[in-house]
Amino acid sequence: MALDIFKNFKEHSIAEFFRKNKQMLGFSGKIRSLTTIVHEYVTNSLDACEEAQILPEIDVQILEEGEFYKVIVKDNGPGIPRKHLGKALGQMLAGTKFHRYIQQRGQQGIGAAGCTLFAQLTTGKPIFVISNYENQTIKCNISIDVRTNRPIISNEIIEENKDGSHGLYIEGIFGDVKYDKSSQSPYEYIKRTALSNPHLTISILEPSGQRTTFSRSTDRIPPKPQEVLPHPLGLTIADLFEMAHNQKEHSTLKAFLLNSFQRISAQKVEEIQKLTNGTVSGIRFVDLLKDPAQLTWEEAEALIKAFSNIKWIAPSSDCLRPIGAQRIQSSLANILSPDFIVVSERPSKIYKGGIPFLVEAALAWGGKAGRLLQNSEVTYDVIRYANSAPLLFDSYACAISQAVKEIDWKRYQIKDIEHSPLTIFVNFVSVHVPYISTGKQAISPEEEIYQEIKYALMDCARKLQSYISGVNREKEIQSRKNVILRYVSQVSHDLAELSDIAKAEEIEKKLKEHVESKYLTKLLAE
Amino acid sequence: MVLKQKKEIKKEDSSIVIKKLEDFGTALVKEIQNSQPPTFEIPLRTKSNVFFDEKLNYLVLGDKKEKRTFLSAAQAKKFMQTIAIANKCKKFLKENSHTSIRGLFYQLKFSLGDDLDEELFSEQSESNPLIEDLEVSLNVKREDLNLNTDRKGVVAGNMVLKDTFGGEETIIDCSKQGRSGWMIPSDVDNGMEIVSLEADYVLVVEKDAMWQRLNEDKFWKKENCILITPKGQASRGCRRLIKKLSELNLPVYIFTDCDAWGWYIYWTIKTGSMNLAYIANSIATPQAKFVGVTMRDIKDYDFLKNLTINAKEVDLKRAEEMLSYDWIKRYVQWVEELKIVLKTKKKLEQDALQGPSLSFVGKYLKEKIEQKKFLP
Repeated sequence: MALDIFKNFKEHSIAEFFRKNKQMLGFSGKIRSLTTIVHEYVTNSLDACEEAQILPEIDVQILEEGEFYKVIVKDNGPGIPRKHLGKALGQMLAGTKFHRYIQQRGQQGIGAAGCTLFAQLTTGKPIFVISNYENQTIKCNISIDVRTNRPIISNEIIEENKDGSHGLYIEGIFGDVKYDKSSQSPYEYIKRTALSNPHLTISILEPSGQRTTFSRSTDRIPPKPQEVLPHPLGLTIADLFEMAHNQKEHSTLKAFLLNSFQRISAQKVEEIQKLTNGTVSGIRFVDLLKDPAQLTWEEAEALIKAFSNIKWIAPSSDCLRPIGAQRIQSSLANILSPDFIVVSERPSKIYKGGIPFLVEAALAWGGKAGRLLQNSEVTYDVIRYANSAPLLFDSYACAISQAVKEIDWKRYQIKDIEHSPLTIFVNFVSVHVPYISTGKQAISPEEEIYQEIKYALMDCARKLQSYISGVNREKEIQSRKNVILRYVSQVSHDLAELSDIAKAEEIEKKLKEHVESKYLTKLLAE
Repeated sequence: MVLKQKKEIKKEDSSIVIKKLEDFGTALVKEIQNSQPPTFEIPLRTKSNVFFDEKLNYLVLGDKKEKRTFLSAAQAKKFMQTIAIANKCKKFLKENSHTSIRGLFYQLKFSLGDDLDEELFSEQSESNPLIEDLEVSLNVKREDLNLNTDRKGVVAGNMVLKDTFGGEETIIDCSKQGRSGWMIPSDVDNGMEIVSLEADYVLVVEKDAMWQRLNEDKFWKKENCILITPKGQASRGCRRLIKKLSELNLPVYIFTDCDAWGWYIYWTIKTGSMNLAYIANSIATPQAKFVGVTMRDIKDYDFLKNLTINAKEVDLKRAEEMLSYDWIKRYVQWVEELKIVLKTKKKLEQDALQGPSLSFVGKYLKEKIEQKKFLP
């Protein structure tokens, strides 16, 4: 059990925790590590802006410094107040995310503090932060005391924020990372983030000096997420474990369960109690009167097992936060300038007997859609999201990739998908995303999920098909017309000589008109 | 005696063809002027549109026609090419110059424009069928369009022709051509006139060697016939000459091997061929009769029974095929003949008649013609 480490977390060094769980935390390869760092910072910025209802503007810079890379992320968010700055960037698993259960972007990785630790472990250097929060400007270095998991703040300068600007500036130097402009690079991550956040303006400076800006296509900020209590079926052992340890309101597990989740009534607590009284095989005894802070990993596991044996009322589906067809349409148009876009609009569905989810699929064709290969040929591109966060890794196992592969694209006039300018966009939206592995980069192909993705894509493909066949017909008619037109001059010349009753120019003019009008009629008849 | 005499070129014949070509073009131009799709029709030359005409006794084209319009992308190029051929042929006729179908192809092999990577014609296989299209739709022969085909076939006998060619008239006496005979030109109509003819019949022998044998034996002199060899399958010019002689009331007798190829040569001369069904009226000679060699000859000429050779698969197949044609199986004699071939799986060559002595073949032909021992 990879997460066993949580159990004795406090007795172990967080550095050891990090090393043992690198995979899970998204630091498993040099390229992936860099993308994870950018992801953590960008996600935090987006969340903060959303919370404060600010139109986000984010600037990412990646610079090569010898064998290290410097990453700078600057946003126009509210900034972080001095009292939270250390905790946000210098304490692992501070649990800050859990006050909002619904669709956190930062479901992957371990947040910005994880990046601080990564910098520390690979280069020995702290990160440098400038926070413009209300009337204060705080500049400081932050690192983590790996023995106590407490932030260490140094070289702190506090100034008056004279111009009233707000935002956060983070600068870190990282080792054991590599920049590479592949389909898993920070560049791709940022492009995809821009695609799923049409209200975002984001730019990236690559180590090559190349700067790219993805401008927002809408000024409408998505509404603040509704705070909805989590549903028991959507929980992992780790979720429950962390929630129990990070709450202070309730002194017994019973009270914690009753008040922290949706659909848990007194009657349900009784059912839980019956299942965890030690008489049910495979589920160990849990004392529901104990302090939640004392909950062990094994007990959390038993509770999760008990949850799965109980019949629940389905979670409310209004906590689902899709991007929205309009917004997807406008950001695809803005960033890919394709010839044709189609976005699916389908109601939410339910998987595993109760968890609501929603699939947003879109196809973009032509223009800058698709992916440019090294040999400058174009191939199709699948861009996957879970709750609007791009999934860049482990694509082979993902339900989205499998659904894309399973579709017979030829049936939809996409004769050679390998050479098609096609971007396939799929966002999986749910309060609980069933990730395949701890890396949280692939969605488990549960039957209901897989089928729904397939249907959504087929909806889109049908519309794309009629677009393509329309274009093909038009092209065909044009090319047939052109075939005839190239013979007009010769045939007119010969007919003039042969008949001796009209001039070549006269015949040619008349014949051209004739051809044009015939094919115009054909086009209009379509 | 050969007479040479300068004379003005006659334009009577070619002017009819020129008129046909001009009318063809005019009709199309008028359609264009009236905003109608320029279209012409071509009788189909496929096997499914070829029939044996019971009254005429030769193969003719049926009524099926194909439309060719310039406004269809699939037909535009062929349309243009056909017009180009028509226009070029009009020029040849006006200039009174002749060329081969290959020569015509080279005249029309040029780029359609500097910016177009396409030629009017790039293969002769494109122009050949279009020439036939033009022949059949205007009801003219390619020779009428001043397009020559390869000459093949030789004639000797008491026949005098006047050949108007290259602005000169030449008198050709086919009885004074020595060992080689007169080579039959591709066009025996235009500028070619039979001035005198003194013969009782026409004898067509398949092989050149056999013709030389009979010529050396003075067969045509002794028997007063016109002796022709097509040298295998008869060319258009050769078939046309046979037809013309037949029209001058001379019986025509064909002498070939008794095998698939020989039969094919005979039936092509007699009923025309599928490919040239559209000009059968000018090249088929339904009155032609088959003088030999036949399997029945073995009864009358005992020595032949030792001179048969094994029939090949193609001979047997052809024999069976012939038995299935209505216009062949109506003749009992042919059915019997072919059945013998199928039964014995043997065949006979005309050369076998030189078995007893080199000149025996003359005796054989004389006997058979006198006794009228023909296959119809």
